[in-house]
Amino acid sequence: MKIELFYTPGCRKCVDASDGLKAAAQELIPGVLWRELNALDELDYAVEVGVVTLPAIAIDGELVFSSLPTCRRFRRELTKRIAKAGEHAA
Amino acid sequence: MPLTIGKIAGLAQVSADTLRYYERERLIAPAAKSAGGYRLYERDALRRIRFIKQAQQCGFTLSEIRALLALRGNNAACCRDVRRIALEKKLQLEAKIKAMKVMSKALTHLIDECSADGRPLDDCPILAALERANGVKRTGR
Repeated sequence: MKIELFYTPGCRKCVDASDGLKAAAQELIPGVLWRELNALDELDYAVEVGVVTLPAIAIDGELVFSSLPTCRRFRRELTKRIAKAGEHAA
Repeated sequence: MPLTIGKIAGLAQVSADTLRYYERERLIAPAAKSAGGYRLYERDALRRIRFIKQAQQCGFTLSEIRALLALRGNNAACCRDVRRIALEKKLQLEAKIKAMKVMSKALTHLIDECSADGRPLDDCPILAALERANGVKRTGR
């Protein structure tokens, strides 16, 4: 799974929250690909994903959170996706 | 010396109606009203009107401009807050440009399909394609 956090430089909120979210992702999905993208540097990709507000989180190229989720909400989303992936694999 | 709505509108190159609209949208308010009930503005209002006009030209909606103006008056806010809003607006504009490019490309295909001859409208490939896109079958007029 690939998780991308789009942020705007200087966003303290993003920095503060990203550590907790990243830790949650790594705990639930060993080997998760976690990327932090400066939306200005990755403007075309951000537009492609559909990012219009910052910070935002995309999972596997799909915009899932258009603002920073709470750690609990983020974990719930990841758990749901892990279960779904498990169903497909079965 | 306070300025009347006509005077300040002239200086800012907007109409008096626009200023009344801005007022309804809570973007600007007269500093006072004359004894006769006419709106009176301080010279500072001119700067605010120009700010609103410029932000509109950059694609900001009036509610976004209201937020920007509030931010400008917020001592706890800083430049990075404005930068984030500007970046979000740029993302929105780029998304619109992308959608419009797709639309333009679709129109190019339709234009290419049309030989621009004197065929009746019932045989117009552009109208037919647009109707096909809506799931409607042409039945003639």
